[in-house]
Amino acid sequence: MDLDADLDVRPAPAFAHASEAELARILDFYAVAWEYEPHTFPILFDRSGTVIESFSPDFYLPELDLYVELTTLKQRLVRKKNRKLRRLRELYPDIRIKLLYARDFRALLFKYGKLSLADALTGADGQTTPPKVRPPRHTAGTLPAETPPAPAETPPAPAVAGLGPGGRPADDPARRPDHGRRRARRTRAEARARGALQLSAAGEPGGTEVTA
Amino acid sequence: MTRRPDLTADVSEILLSEEQIQAKVLELGRRISDDFAGRELTLVSVLKGSLPFMADLMRAITISVQIDLMEVSSYGGTATESSGLVRILKDLSSSIDGRHVIIVEDIIDTGLTLNYLVRYLRGKNPASLKICTLLDKPARRLVEIAIDYRGFEIPDQFVIGYGLDYGEAYRNLRFVGVLRPEVYTDPD
Repeated sequence: MDLDADLDVRPAPAFAHASEAELARILDFYAVAWEYEPHTFPILFDRSGTVIESFSPDFYLPELDLYVELTTLKQRLVRKKNRKLRRLRELYPDIRIKLLYARDFRALLFKYGKLSLADALTGADGQTTPPKVRPPRHTAGTLPAETPPAPAETPPAPAVAGLGPGGRPADDPARRPDHGRRRARRTRAEARARGALQLSAAGEPGGTEVTA
Repeated sequence: MTRRPDLTADVSEILLSEEQIQAKVLELGRRISDDFAGRELTLVSVLKGSLPFMADLMRAITISVQIDLMEVSSYGGTATESSGLVRILKDLSSSIDGRHVIIVEDIIDTGLTLNYLVRYLRGKNPASLKICTLLDKPARRLVEIAIDYRGFEIPDQFVIGYGLDYGEAYRNLRFVGVLRPEVYTDPD
């Protein structure tokens, strides 16, 4: 049986973080089908029912019916992610989702002899999209004349294009590279370009792993 | 790993003694013998870590049994990195078509390798396919797999011995121990 036979070669999605690209390569290696951020779940609504916050888990593994969220950032951001996850589980109790923390991801890298890449693949160093730039804060009457006025405080943008009716999770075709649940095989060129794919000289640590 | 492994000093604690392991292996052997009495059974060991467990388990089984060995590449290994896909480094030497098969593992953590193996072996038409592992580390599970015969559930610690290695060392310890963190952490 050739498990590779039905692999579908298609362009890699634009991963938001190098750690996600690495996890995708691991899943590819073991022939686990995955989709990158295929679904968006509304998790917070205002009184009129408008979605004001949503959550898009990083990966969906269709064969396992499992979502995987990977976070390698600071504890402050993990808390925010944990809150989102709790909300998601409250609203969608049937969804199976696994949150991989930084320590879990480091353990994966260690298991596969790639711990030397941990710093490059985790935290802010691993971000592949520029962080959001906040407008400079100004006090009343000190706004420079040529500086555009700072935007007014507004609720967070829904960011749920393609939201399904009745607040059900959206399946956004634009974010879902493959409508069929075919096995995905990604190229590594993107990660190479980021300098993320550097083989470690560390030995394969066998079937054991550790919390870093 | 550049330092020379010290089979005594590098172990911070003994997680499972030789006696505990042997008692569990006997128990598993009895269960398997009962469950597969009168059937054609093949044990498939996944190299290299499961060798000691396989050797002990097959001798604890009291019915006729065949054995086979498999080895698959692991992610990150330089030999396979170019392909980006898991490779069967050593395939079965005999057909398992119509036979009852038990995959014998030393430890299951992420479940990725085992998930691959299960799908691979199912394609070879065994009469049934079960999983037996000495150690189960569920804290690290990514792919959920039903384990039919489980020896011990262990905490999320780096364990060595009884086939389990770090840098190919410590496999020959007769117990399962916890490796001292300073052995594998970067001093920088």
